[in-house]
Amino acid sequence: MEPNLSRGNKTDTASVKKKKKSGESKAGYLLVAPALILILAIAIWPVLQSFYYSMFDLRLANPQKNAAHISYQVDLHKYLDNYPFLINLIDEEMSEAPGESAEQLEALKVKLEKADEELKKEGSVKEKYDQVDEKLMVMKPVSKDLAIAEVEKDAALQLEKTIKEVNEEAKKIKGLKNEEDVLGLASSLDEAVIKPNFIGFESYTEKLQDKRMWLALKNTTVFTVISVFVELVLGLAIALLINKAFFGRGLVRATILIPWAIPTAVSALMWKYLYDGQNGIVAKVFAEIGLVDNMTDLLTSSTGAMFSVIFADVWKTTPYMALLLLAGLQTIPSSLYEAASIDGATKWKQFTTVTLPLLKSSILVALLFRTLDAFRVFDLVYVLTGGGPASSTETISSLAYKVMFEQSNFGDGSALSVIVFVCVAVISMIYIKFLGRDLLNDK
Amino acid sequence: MNKKAGPLFYVFLAVFVFLVMFPFLWMLTSSIKPIGELFGADAFNPFTSNPTLANYESVFVNYPFVKYLWNSFVVASITTIYTVFVASFAAYAIARLKFKGKTLILGLVLSVSMFPQIATISPIYIFLKNLGLTNSYLGLIIPYTTFTLPLSIWILVTFFRKIPFDLEEAAKIDGASLMQTFWRVILPLAIPGIFTTAILVFIAAWNEFLFALTINTDDAYKTVPVGIAMFEGQFTIPWGEITAATVIVTVPLVIMVLLFQRRIVSGLTSGAVKE
Repeated sequence: MEPNLSRGNKTDTASVKKKKKSGESKAGYLLVAPALILILAIAIWPVLQSFYYSMFDLRLANPQKNAAHISYQVDLHKYLDNYPFLINLIDEEMSEAPGESAEQLEALKVKLEKADEELKKEGSVKEKYDQVDEKLMVMKPVSKDLAIAEVEKDAALQLEKTIKEVNEEAKKIKGLKNEEDVLGLASSLDEAVIKPNFIGFESYTEKLQDKRMWLALKNTTVFTVISVFVELVLGLAIALLINKAFFGRGLVRATILIPWAIPTAVSALMWKYLYDGQNGIVAKVFAEIGLVDNMTDLLTSSTGAMFSVIFADVWKTTPYMALLLLAGLQTIPSSLYEAASIDGATKWKQFTTVTLPLLKSSILVALLFRTLDAFRVFDLVYVLTGGGPASSTETISSLAYKVMFEQSNFGDGSALSVIVFVCVAVISMIYIKFLGRDLLNDK
Repeated sequence: MNKKAGPLFYVFLAVFVFLVMFPFLWMLTSSIKPIGELFGADAFNPFTSNPTLANYESVFVNYPFVKYLWNSFVVASITTIYTVFVASFAAYAIARLKFKGKTLILGLVLSVSMFPQIATISPIYIFLKNLGLTNSYLGLIIPYTTFTLPLSIWILVTFFRKIPFDLEEAAKIDGASLMQTFWRVILPLAIPGIFTTAILVFIAAWNEFLFALTINTDDAYKTVPVGIAMFEGQFTIPWGEITAATVIVTVPLVIMVLLFQRRIVSGLTSGAVKE
């Protein structure tokens, strides 16, 4: 910086500081940018997109509904794959058909050709029509972007109407040599017209009245509340017990980490083996101590299955909970306990007046992470019970998965996943309200 | 609280360790049983008098298990390297530079880490399918960013905050630029934290199930968790192979946990505990 003699020393250092500061913020934004862009593109955009998809009747297995469209469109690839052949076939038939049928065929041809003329007049169709036609002639692949042309609603409806009429009339014509081919081509032509599959909030109103959705939501809530509560109580007890110096700490810590570290899918499979109605050792033990009447109850009755899922989850995550709480406990200075015991506080009194208040934020953070984790449970249920028996352990995530990937209904599935997202958002807002800004502040 | 541990305490510890480890021990003893002893009366007998490695052999011979392991390893490693790299810049800026809106950015990162995966899967799946990236390594690395990147930023911010702030001042006085300060002064000190983050991210990517299940359905690109879960035949469940496969994936994890337990614990509890 060049010294500026006319200005006072004070303003000079201030401007230097300001410049440094603005350079620092620039660097700050620059360093954060790549991560932020990735997060926006890979996490936030998909959530918004899910919401967008949820307003469409989107079915991946159905060629007319496998993308979200708001406007009427014509699939020129499909159209030109059928139209010219249909006209040729009609010509062929006309030359051989008896008088009356020939007339009917002629009428069909006129109708189709008229509709074709009309279609070519449409804005975006004009350019694409010949390009697609040429490519099809030489058997070149046609890209989706090129094949799909937007058309006015009226034009699309008119074209659809004509095609429907042609279909109807073609069925009435007698004495066709290749009747099947004519009808086949005519009906595939019908698939060229793509109607908008926008349905607004219909999926949501439907889902909100759907018993299966409510059952899944109930199961998820039951699973979350019970498992997180048990994990908290057990985790706290374990943390309190092992919060002291003892021989073999490393071994215990490693033991605690192993269930946390193995893939949930693998641990679910492991429990499936242990719970097995014929050969499972845990099922046998539970039956012997009278926890269940029959060994088979664990995976084949609805309460048994829910219990099994919760038990497996408690086994896997209690250690993790204990670890988080233990770390919290270790930040409480021992002088506080000494002071409390000098004042004559009992162990219980020390726990409620010293431990719990100071552990509050650790507990809330652990609860927040665990609740959200439990609420989106998928792998455990998918592998251990498959949501059964009779949907009794189906969670909202596993239901959404089934609707999307087994019924290939992405519209409904997206609506369900938005519901999961909203629930998670509400849960975290409640926790954050309790936690305050503690979680994000520097100190 | 430095109370002395009594003998009763060690009994409790032994019981606790046994209960937690029991499923693994049972899998281990089951995996070396001959197939006949997995069912019927012998099923409840912890030890077998005819130990065999047939199940282990079958896992490698009858299933593309090595391929699964390799796929998981490739996907988890690349995800880890690239996310930790991107995250370390962002975390450094958030932890140590002054600029407006960084609390907001950290808040955003935290909320994204809480996104349920199911809420992002339909657009991601359709996007990857249209690009022809389903059944590829990239097809998993891209979606894995959704949870690994926020996780790494979150953990790294805590580690970067622990490095004394005087160091930067000193570097500035010596005339180092911001990037020089980052590369020469801060980064070397942050290596342990970065390593810890990498371990946690690797485990998270290795264990992921939903994306792996839906995106890579081809045997050539399946990851270990999905591969094992799909061992189940149409009519029978090959428990012998499943127990063996479980042991195979657990053993390296046990070794890793034993080696890095301190780091893992510090990574898991960072950000969750205010010191």
